[in-house]
Amino acid sequence: MRSYIFAKKILTKKLIPFFVFFLCCFFSKAQSQTANLSGIIFNQEDNQPILGANVSIKNTSYGTVSNIDGEYDLKLPLGEYEIYFSYLGFEDEVKKINLQKDTQINIYLVPKEEELEEILVEENVERTEIRSASMSTNRLTSETIKQIPVVLGEADVIRALIQLPGVSNTGEGSAGFNVRGGSAGQNLILVDNATIFNSSHLFGLFSIFNPDAVKELSLYKGGIPATYGGRVASVLDIEQRRGNTQKFKGEANIGVVSSKLLLEGPIQKDKSSFLVSGRSSYAHLFLQLADNPNSAYFYDVNAKFNFIINPENDISVSAYYGRDVIDINDNFINVFGSSFISARWNHKFNNEISGNLSLIANDYLYDLEITSAAFVFETGLSNINLKYDVSHRLNTDLSLEYGIESLLHEFNPGLVRPTDALSDINRRKLDDKFAWENGIYLSANHNLTKDLQLQYGLRLSSFFRLGQNGFSTYENDEPVFYNSEIGIYEEAPILESTSISRNETIKSFHNLEPRLSMSYSFNDNQSVKLGYHRMVQNLHLISNTSAPTPFDIWAPSGPYLQPQKADQVAVGYFQNLKKEAYSIETEVYYKTVQNSFDFINGANLIANNNIERVLLNGEGRAYGLEILLKKNKGKLTGWIAYTLSRTEQRTPGRSPDEPGINNGEWYLNNFDKTHDLSVIANYQLNKKWSFNANFVAQTGLPVNFPVGQYQFQDLNIPVFEGRNQNRLPTFHRLDISATLIPSKNESRDWKTSWNFGIYNLYNRMNAASINFRQNQETGANEAIRLSIFGIVPSVSYNIKF
Amino acid sequence: MKKYICITVILGLILFTSCTDVVEVDLEEATPRLVFDASIKWENGELANEQIIKVSRTRNFFEEEITWVSGANIEVLDENNNLTTFEEVEPGHYKTENFTASLEQDYQLNIAVEGKTFQANTAFVNTTSIDSISQGNEGGFSGDEKEVVIYFKDEPTEENYYLIRFNTEFLAFPSVELQSDQFNNGNSISISFSDEDLETGDIVEIEFYSISEAYHDFLFKLLLQTGSAGGPFQAQPATVRGNIVNLDDFDDFPFGYFSLSTLEKVNVIVE
Repeated sequence: MRSYIFAKKILTKKLIPFFVFFLCCFFSKAQSQTANLSGIIFNQEDNQPILGANVSIKNTSYGTVSNIDGEYDLKLPLGEYEIYFSYLGFEDEVKKINLQKDTQINIYLVPKEEELEEILVEENVERTEIRSASMSTNRLTSETIKQIPVVLGEADVIRALIQLPGVSNTGEGSAGFNVRGGSAGQNLILVDNATIFNSSHLFGLFSIFNPDAVKELSLYKGGIPATYGGRVASVLDIEQRRGNTQKFKGEANIGVVSSKLLLEGPIQKDKSSFLVSGRSSYAHLFLQLADNPNSAYFYDVNAKFNFIINPENDISVSAYYGRDVIDINDNFINVFGSSFISARWNHKFNNEISGNLSLIANDYLYDLEITSAAFVFETGLSNINLKYDVSHRLNTDLSLEYGIESLLHEFNPGLVRPTDALSDINRRKLDDKFAWENGIYLSANHNLTKDLQLQYGLRLSSFFRLGQNGFSTYENDEPVFYNSEIGIYEEAPILESTSISRNETIKSFHNLEPRLSMSYSFNDNQSVKLGYHRMVQNLHLISNTSAPTPFDIWAPSGPYLQPQKADQVAVGYFQNLKKEAYSIETEVYYKTVQNSFDFINGANLIANNNIERVLLNGEGRAYGLEILLKKNKGKLTGWIAYTLSRTEQRTPGRSPDEPGINNGEWYLNNFDKTHDLSVIANYQLNKKWSFNANFVAQTGLPVNFPVGQYQFQDLNIPVFEGRNQNRLPTFHRLDISATLIPSKNESRDWKTSWNFGIYNLYNRMNAASINFRQNQETGANEAIRLSIFGIVPSVSYNIKF
Repeated sequence: MKKYICITVILGLILFTSCTDVVEVDLEEATPRLVFDASIKWENGELANEQIIKVSRTRNFFEEEITWVSGANIEVLDENNNLTTFEEVEPGHYKTENFTASLEQDYQLNIAVEGKTFQANTAFVNTTSIDSISQGNEGGFSGDEKEVVIYFKDEPTEENYYLIRFNTEFLAFPSVELQSDQFNNGNSISISFSDEDLETGDIVEIEFYSISEAYHDFLFKLLLQTGSAGGPFQAQPATVRGNIVNLDDFDDFPFGYFSLSTLEKVNVIVE
């Protein structure tokens, strides 16, 4: 009995702990028998991470593929291995290692010498994605953007975008772009997470995006993932390049109108890098040489700094500063532009979860000085933005993205300031407006089966219009008054103007935005996709001209300005032919927009402190068919994009007694183009010469022609009826360009190339507008067509070092 | 390489070929409407007895000859029921020599023509006069044109609206400026007229009107239609309705306006 009790004591006191200890040792030893092998795979030539590179281990079945940041990781038992890193178009890299603990190896793959075009094709970014649920999306790399011939020889991001189906603009020399009939202010434009409010220089001649600083861009026209919110038509997400962490490099481009210089290199080898790129135009100097006192020029600077602190943390800081200056005889001086600084801290919690904390500060200003009238008009906006985004991979078939975003906005609608004491203009400040915009989202990428992939998500957007000085109220809460006696809409008189503290909310708007897209693949080369999204927009670009101008005001939603809500459904068919030598993408979409506003007749927007008094609420609808045919391989590559579409607006009266606009009937909105055809062709003749051509043909924009005239007080007055009942003549144009790469390049470190181009080869005078007016000398009526560009040849010289 | 350089130098000239052309356009013609040009002007504080009202019809945009309308019955009534009748002196032109106007009164226009009746109401506006006129040689956008500048003092206690017309021999139609005191309330305001063809000895006729807010808003919309602010950034053209109403059929409205304004007229000889 005693020995039994004694044995039990030993068992409980000693054996069990020993057994537990033994088990622990066993398990921890089992755990410590594997280690993580991870790292980043870069392209040695441009130091950009490679997506989709293969990592395989000789004589084992272990292997993986690198992700969009070039990262790979493998969990392997301890031991010696021969690891192969490969990617089509690059030389294989082999590393022999003895894996005893978690190891990080970064790899730099060297491009293979021959078959340049193969690399361009396998650049996975632009290929037609058959299986992925993402649809209505186009991706472009910097290389493609630079191949499209453009006016004055300057590669331009927006001009490249409008060659895609569903994307258009309101003409040459016209800022912004239109997606599926939406206005320029309905696109969310992000550069490294910073919001851009004006995407053009010099009223639309150039975009503010320097193609050299751009790594790649994605344009979402539909099926927009829940990670984005805030605008109803599209999202343009531009990622800037990061600097080379290995060695110093540079690139310079000297053109006829402007030049660019880019410098990049390591701050600390392998750990941190910088990239700085600047552009400036100097055509105005030629004018000054000719004793012309006018000048118009722009300059911009992009910078990006990257710091890899350790394998789990890296920081990137991105900045931009750009200005446009237009000076007409020192009398009319216009200065405007954007600037932002965007910082992002990426933290890897583990191999499945990583998070990005971003802080962005953003500013846009517009100044106009008229010296003869001695005043300055200043307007602008700024915001500060904090966001946290998480990427969470649950398993190989399901990954989540969720996050939260908060923006504080400040709008300065205008300050009119006399510049000297004798000026007859009084100082006048239009009231600043404030808003707080938030979003929280959850999005999932779910592979239900190999052939059925889903992307679904939900975004909750909360918008708070904050207090301000001079908040106006109106009788019956109606800022627009309909004068039924004479049948016109007028600005209603202000009842009362009060000051509300910025800590108080005047009005808030909360909206749920569901997003869904799915793809069903018949095989690796064919699929059908379906997408739906709701997008809500709370910042509105108030512009009563077709093309955006710097006079346009951004206004926040409030008691008199409802958020715009868009619902869009799209169905598409995607196919790759002959091993991706050709691809077809076709889509049909239907979109409705609630609270799409329009202006009363004769709306005066300039320095209007209460723009709600000239806006009428309405609805919009758009539908269309988009076809994109791409040839991806061979000496001749390119694409044909065709869009057949219609975009309409309806602005009824608020009661049956009111006419609304165009008698409350549907009318074409300002951006409707029935047919839109773009053809892009690149022909790589040999190592020395390549040729590019671009042909566009589009239905003319809707306009209003007079249906009569009469005399009033000695002036001829044209009579207009309805809205957008006529069209400008068909717009078509052919551009060509040639690039010459001297053979001397092969034998030296620095590479040069020449680019020759002719814009508008057959000198078609496309109408930007047709004005009907009285001739100042004869007094007779005439129609005047304004064309922006005739035939324009150009040349530029490029050096890479 | 040398050959390439030569070619590129030649091709490298910027050809900024933006241009304007007169073009032919086929225009539709809407159902014609009546036009009443009823602008009563009280000149220089004197009794302006002689007034003209014109009645015409809309026509094709490129048709040069005006379509005048005859046979209209035109009367103007004031608050005390004093009636002034306008008689047709030539096609479309109706004249009176008995008009008496007094400030701070409302006036009503009644027109009967082609079986329809029209009515409009307007009020007389307080006056402002030109303080001084100056001339210079640095006018216009390019700063090298001859210019004539008028100065006037704005009344700070009320909202004021002004219309200024400049006419000279070589202009086919007057140059029209609208001004409100939104930005210059209470100040001395200056309006200038300049033209590259203006030369010494030219006579510039200046008409300076104080107008009502309603007439100002109407003229603002009207001038937007005349393409004087033309270009790719022009605002939406629109049907501009005046203050004259068709009493029988609200939708069969006429164009034009009935206004009463004070007018100061000055002729200046360019130095």
